[in-house]
Amino acid sequence: MADTQSFLHLARPLGPASVGAQPSTAPLSVTIQPQALFSILDHAVRRPQDQDRVIGTLLGTRSEDGTEVEIRNCYAVPHTETTEQVEVDMDYQKSMLALHLRANPREVLVGWYATSGELNTFSALIQNFYGQQGDGTWPHPAVHLTVSTIPGEDIEARTYISAPIGVTAERAADSCLFIPVPYEIKYGEAEKSGLEIIAAAKDKEDRTTNIATDIESIETAIEQVLDMLERVSNYVSNVLDEEAEPSTALGQFLMNALSLAPKVEPADIERDFNNHIQDVLVVSYLANTIRTQIDLSNRLATAALTLGTGDALGGSTGGQEGGQKEGGRQDQRRGGKGRGQNRQQQQE
Amino acid sequence: MADFKESPLKAVQIEALVVMKIIKHSSQTFPTVATGSLVGMDVNGTLQITNTFPFPTVDVPATDGHQDTAANLAAAAPRAKANIVYQNEMIRCLREVNVDANNVGWYTSTSMGNFVNANTIENQFFYQKEMNERTVALVHDVSRSVQGSLNVRAYRLSPSFMISYKENKFTTDSLQKSGLRYQDIFVELPLTVHNSHILTSLLHQLPTSPPKEELQFPPSLAALKQDPNAPRNPLAPNFESLDLSIDPFLEKSCDLLLESIENHHTELNNHQYYQRSLAREQTKISAWQSKRKSENVSRAAAKQPLLPEDEWQRLFKLPQEPSRLELLLNSRQVEQYARQVDGFTAGVSGKMFAVKSNLLPNEG
Repeated sequence: MADTQSFLHLARPLGPASVGAQPSTAPLSVTIQPQALFSILDHAVRRPQDQDRVIGTLLGTRSEDGTEVEIRNCYAVPHTETTEQVEVDMDYQKSMLALHLRANPREVLVGWYATSGELNTFSALIQNFYGQQGDGTWPHPAVHLTVSTIPGEDIEARTYISAPIGVTAERAADSCLFIPVPYEIKYGEAEKSGLEIIAAAKDKEDRTTNIATDIESIETAIEQVLDMLERVSNYVSNVLDEEAEPSTALGQFLMNALSLAPKVEPADIERDFNNHIQDVLVVSYLANTIRTQIDLSNRLATAALTLGTGDALGGSTGGQEGGQKEGGRQDQRRGGKGRGQNRQQQQE
Repeated sequence: MADFKESPLKAVQIEALVVMKIIKHSSQTFPTVATGSLVGMDVNGTLQITNTFPFPTVDVPATDGHQDTAANLAAAAPRAKANIVYQNEMIRCLREVNVDANNVGWYTSTSMGNFVNANTIENQFFYQKEMNERTVALVHDVSRSVQGSLNVRAYRLSPSFMISYKENKFTTDSLQKSGLRYQDIFVELPLTVHNSHILTSLLHQLPTSPPKEELQFPPSLAALKQDPNAPRNPLAPNFESLDLSIDPFLEKSCDLLLESIENHHTELNNHQYYQRSLAREQTKISAWQSKRKSENVSRAAAKQPLLPEDEWQRLFKLPQEPSRLELLLNSRQVEQYARQVDGFTAGVSGKMFAVKSNLLPNEG
């Protein structure tokens, strides 16, 4: 669905109330974050049976000059559509907007989405509603994102802004010119790991996956690297056997990649390796020692009193127990100090 | 340690949407704790979490006088009154657009597994006592997720802990009776991530398919780098987990462990203080009792009326035993750290040996 070809860029025509100052006419670029897209698809799945498309509001951030829009969040808005008329629940839209703004005060209203690729009179009407003065996005244009969700066809997303087009003054409210604008799907560093898990489920029949442990994710990463190395070395040996066509550019690229391998003295490697592996093992050992000590301390604290029989004895056993606990604690302190030294070692 | 028989929930299944929303919210507010509400439903013992929304973090009126920092406010958000109203309002709105409108728990973000504290317990207790028992706490570890694999876990409070917490009894006696150990505070539920059909088809479309026609070799290195046909697989390979950074993690773990030991120490001191004062009071009482007894003996000899012997209950006040809850939580936290370090060690030593034998192939 990632449509990579550029759309025609037009200078943006003036907004609906064009008498006011409209400073920027630069083209607009839109960034979509995956969670907004996921949310739209979720809404598409949950649409009422008798409705072909559902709509919702897009929230996000806009750069200062208004030429870059980032869609970060969205929520569904109920609406009904018949052949003659369309009804959007304005109160719902307003209260939901207020609720969202309380949790995400930095996000603003940027536009709306629909779950079908179609643009019609109602689209224009809703577009004008979202772009209006007051509650809408004016003076910035409202962004319209369509995600086609027809079964059996590719999911295709398009983004538009609009320009007023008037035949007559009466018809201005339900007509507008949709201008396609380019968009990108971007995700941040933090989302990578989440998307990896989600993508891992795509080839499963039940569409579910377990959360991988650290070791498992290392394994998959290594397997992927091995796979890539395999492909490259296949190609290289084919070139050497004069079976595949050689390419200087590829050769150069591979050379560059290989020269990235660090040149270090074996003795240095040996030393660094030993230092680090010792650090790791010592911390692991100490962490487990501390865990055992604390477990012991807890057990002693609750076990010692079972020996106590009466009130008078309670005091003395309590004292003993304190002593035992004290011993446990001192051991832990020792552990703490050992770790402190270890950390110094790391810092050296 | 987990006791599944008494719990109606056996597993937790979260939608991809929920994963993304939690990650977004947590990383936005990091390092402040982010909390939010989960909605979904329970199907045959599997809790399906289908949507989520964050709790507002600003303008939350302080629930208690002593909670004034922003971090505390955010952590206490799930049980703040304003947020319950917010949550109900939001769920009412979500119901109108066919989202599963049952509150099934809450999520929190954490850093380095540092989530076992009174706030988490109190929030989950708040949910678990109110909502017919079918609620979970999702814990998303932000700092460990950037190291490679996603770290989200689902927890519930164990039934025995619930009982103790309800009575707020964490004395040595009650712990002996209930046999509650720190390992039994949380029950972890297996967690799976689930994609909808439509999302699956989107994921299959996302890597643009390679061009059909035969491609020419690029004429130069620069052309290769700018080649529009270069495959971009946006999702799957995540080589963050091959990253070989060791020291920051170890240092952080050590700091956290030291902090826990410090806490443990303070708590133990409290207990010792209690025990000393208890012993002191008891010696005083027994001294008083023997004095009263001898007095009564002499009074009986002089045929005077006897003095009551149980007056000590009014005269002396035994000190209150401090709650062991903090100790329990602290121990659980240490266990969490220790396991975390174990997991890290397992991964990193493998990576280190791999690197070593790569750089020194002959000494393998």
